[in-house]
Amino acid sequence: MTTSETIWLLLCILAPAALGCATLWLPKRAIAARTLIALLGPVASFVILAQHLAAHGVSAPEAPAATPVIEWIPVLHLNLSFLADGLGGFFGLLVSGIGALIVLYARGYFGRDEAALFRFFPTLGFFTTAMMGIVLADYMLLTVLFWELTSISSFLLIGWDRDDRHAVKLAMQAFFTTGLGGMFLMGGVLMFGYATGGDGGLWRWSEVLSAGAGRIDVSDPLIVWSFILMLFGAATKSAQWPFHYWLPGAMAAPTPVSAFLHSATMVKAGVFLTGRMFPVFAALEWWSDLIIPLGAITMVAGATIALNQHDLKRIFAYTTVSQLGLLMCMYGLGSLEYHGHANIEWDITQIANHAFYKAPLFIIAGALGHYISRDITQLGGAIRKRPAMVITMLLAGYALAAGPGTISFQAKEFFLYAIYHAQESIGPWWMLLMAMAAVTAVCNVAIFVRLLTTLMGWPGGMKPAAAHGAHDEHDDHAHGHGEHEHGPWAHLIWIPGLALVLLQYVGGLAPGLWGQWFAPLESHAAEAIPTALHAFMHPTLPLYVSLACMAIGAAVGLSPLMRGAIVDMHDRIYPAMYWLAVTGGGRAFRTVQTGRFRHYIIFVLLAFLGAYVASMALDPEMLRWPAVESAFEFIPGVLLGVIICATAILMPIVQSRVVRVIILGSCGFSVVGMYLLYQAPDLALTQLMFEIISVILFVLVLRLLPDTKETDRASGRWWRFTLGTLTGVAIGWLTLVAAQSGAEPKLGEWFARHSYTGTEATDGRGGGGRNIVNVILVDFRGFDTLGEITVLSIAALGVFSLFPRRKPMPTQLEFEEQIAGGAAR
Amino acid sequence: MTISSPVLRNSMRLILPITLLYAMYAMLKGHHEPGGGFIGGMIFATAICTYRMSHGALAQLRLMPVHPRVLIFLGLGLALGTSVIPLLLGEPFLRSAVGEFHLPFSSHPFHYASAMAFDLGVMLVVVGVGVGMITQLSEELE
Amino acid sequence: MTIILSICVAVTFAVSIYLMTGRELKSIAMGVFLLGHAANLSIIAMSRTPVRHEPQLLKGAPILTEAFDAARPMSSIVDPLPQALILTAIVIGFAVMAFLLSLLVLTSRKAGTLNVEQLAAEAMQGA
Repeated sequence: MTTSETIWLLLCILAPAALGCATLWLPKRAIAARTLIALLGPVASFVILAQHLAAHGVSAPEAPAATPVIEWIPVLHLNLSFLADGLGGFFGLLVSGIGALIVLYARGYFGRDEAALFRFFPTLGFFTTAMMGIVLADYMLLTVLFWELTSISSFLLIGWDRDDRHAVKLAMQAFFTTGLGGMFLMGGVLMFGYATGGDGGLWRWSEVLSAGAGRIDVSDPLIVWSFILMLFGAATKSAQWPFHYWLPGAMAAPTPVSAFLHSATMVKAGVFLTGRMFPVFAALEWWSDLIIPLGAITMVAGATIALNQHDLKRIFAYTTVSQLGLLMCMYGLGSLEYHGHANIEWDITQIANHAFYKAPLFIIAGALGHYISRDITQLGGAIRKRPAMVITMLLAGYALAAGPGTISFQAKEFFLYAIYHAQESIGPWWMLLMAMAAVTAVCNVAIFVRLLTTLMGWPGGMKPAAAHGAHDEHDDHAHGHGEHEHGPWAHLIWIPGLALVLLQYVGGLAPGLWGQWFAPLESHAAEAIPTALHAFMHPTLPLYVSLACMAIGAAVGLSPLMRGAIVDMHDRIYPAMYWLAVTGGGRAFRTVQTGRFRHYIIFVLLAFLGAYVASMALDPEMLRWPAVESAFEFIPGVLLGVIICATAILMPIVQSRVVRVIILGSCGFSVVGMYLLYQAPDLALTQLMFEIISVILFVLVLRLLPDTKETDRASGRWWRFTLGTLTGVAIGWLTLVAAQSGAEPKLGEWFARHSYTGTEATDGRGGGGRNIVNVILVDFRGFDTLGEITVLSIAALGVFSLFPRRKPMPTQLEFEEQIAGGAAR
Repeated sequence: MTISSPVLRNSMRLILPITLLYAMYAMLKGHHEPGGGFIGGMIFATAICTYRMSHGALAQLRLMPVHPRVLIFLGLGLALGTSVIPLLLGEPFLRSAVGEFHLPFSSHPFHYASAMAFDLGVMLVVVGVGVGMITQLSEELE
Repeated sequence: MTIILSICVAVTFAVSIYLMTGRELKSIAMGVFLLGHAANLSIIAMSRTPVRHEPQLLKGAPILTEAFDAARPMSSIVDPLPQALILTAIVIGFAVMAFLLSLLVLTSRKAGTLNVEQLAAEAMQGA
């Protein structure tokens, strides 16, 4: 392969977004041209990818062949290189293929709503590009990047109806949940790269796959954690329990979006990631321990909730959750060995199977919602009104029920076999899993039976009288009541659905043909797909289970049980988290932030004292009296010290404010003397000037302030005194210990040696000054000084702006008068 | 706030020029002897403020007819300019140049470091801040 | 000398904390002022004891001659780094002080009181 292949695949990824955005330049009325150009994007992607796969073949899972690298940001291990192996290639074809059909469907769905189409095609293209990027990227971080882009585009599409606050809230919910998962995924990828060797580590899927378990130490806790983090990302994206709440919420999006993102492609990104990780991480014990329960719980929860819904889109959303759980569970089971080889077969067929019936179900649900209703209780006998749509839906529904004749049947059999085979590894737990799978299957069959009886108008169907109270609030009603187009587009709206669902029956009735298409993409296809007939001729336990499920399912579907619409408890998770973060956080903030300076000081000091005591306890050396010279060796120093202490102690005792300022000044002047003793003439000079200006400042300000007295209770004085004394002693001791620590002043020495002339260490470059302090200020630490004068300026400008300027500048006349007056005085 | 004391007024006339001169000296010699921008600026600001106390606001305005914030901006600009110039010459930020040059009519070489220009900027800022704050608060009082 | 300096640091720090935990804004401002002294003194103590009995005052040791090289031991001068740190700290302290005092003036004008408790009560009502 050459670099041109990388460019071609890059084009394949970018085409939908580029062409989608290109439609923005068309005039709003040019609907046909708009649709055509938007259609061109996914079609181009499909063709380029198919051509690439045909020319270079599907790379084998053991030796994946990525396209040559085009460097983008090498230092971040983020370059352009693409990997079209079986999994990625299949997903790419699926996304671009369904994407093209969705463009057609959207044209019928939105009708002649020009504003909606104007906005929809670029957004859809953006999503298609992001999704293609996920599945084709070879660099793991590139996958993460596109992963986040799908979250963003999903957010835009769920919150399509921008005026509907509820829809926007649900979009936020989906974005927050999947975005959080994206963060975890990124953390996992970074940790994985680090654990496998940092800069020389594994940053590309192709390297990861070809290196296999050889370079990856599965006992390394870092690897385990990176796996868990990545799995968390996959679980949120693929709506695994308990994060599945965002997916039914995402049904606020227009139906083309639901059919595309939330059934066929985006939610599969997590499954895709699991499939990518499978060859590497399946060796981990955590793999099956985590994924199987996660997937199984999701599977059952989704199916049972789906049965108790009325809104078609919500029903299918929950069956999607259930199916995603099943797919995860399948990968989880895959790591358990059966007769020495992996317990996974035809995994890509499983994924394709779901896409091929779920997208049509959504497509028809949206179309029915347009013309009749999306509430299943309102749809009695709909076949007489819209026969083509209803037939398509029933065909897809039959696949949902995994009836023989669809590829869904074989897929379900494969899954049941995987559970059956797992008994070799997990013992009697397989029976629990089998029961869970059976419950799921029963629910799916029951849903189909209800759809059938209701839509055909047969007895046993859903009646409008049934609980109507729990009306679905996630309805995308904005498009339900618009003017309906009666052109060919509207009448053929079911065609994209039919096109997809027919693939189901190709697989079911002609598994050989299906095998020809999909076997090259599969990495776990040991033998050909058997026909449904074959299964009946050689009955085994899984077959009995699925037959029993069909019977029970039919009974449940016809029975009057479980016909209401329930509220999913998990819908409260996100609002609860939101409340906790916003309201709870605010309350916590107000509890801690009392607004009283005194409390803040006390908190800070107590923390300081705590840390102080702890460090003393850890390092008893600090408690030893440092060997110091006599305190009285130099009498002027003693005198200055006495003055400083005396003036400081006088401060709180004296009440008169003038005397206080004088005391403050004398304290400062004693400090000046102290600096002189410490051979710091610069400091002494500065401090002197500072004292003068400060005294002026204090005198000025005190005249501006009312003369109030300190009013504090005696008890208050006592604890203030105690706190002050404790802190003072602590700091004083710290000073003593630090000053006597005996460490050579290395840094100061360095500055001293380089202040005038340099040495070899600085290429002979010195500061050019003999006053070390000044050279440090303007040269060695010049940047620091620059920051400091900026702070000074800001403080001054703050003071200027605090007081509004009331007096204008004096005029020339006043000026002269003042001078004359001054001279006369 | 003006203190009307003839002694202070007249002595200030003598003290002020000397103090200002010393402030400049401290700034210019600061690279080699005690002094520098911060110190020079503080001395300068103190001198101006005491002058204001003895002679009044308008006298100060006559002595320094610009608003202090102009000094602040000038100083910041100068400091920033001297630190950016090395960047334009392909050197690291804030690198100083050191050298000597001969003034006319002087046999003694004059040693200079470009950091002194930076120091001048520091001084301007400090003068602006010190004078500006005192002036502002005094105006509030009047 | 270090002992004396440490005692000074302890006393000024204790007094400044005592003042800052008071109820009167003027006292708090003075406490902040004293705190600056305490911190600066604490830092200067790190620059090791000055040369004994012979403080070289204004012709002091940190100003070097060209002859400063390996032959002249570091112990003959004090550490210049703390001085540089304190120098900027003093000037910044001045600016912060002035800003604080300006705020004080404004507060007393707007609220009519400098008592911390009353101010906090007003802030709570306002919020």
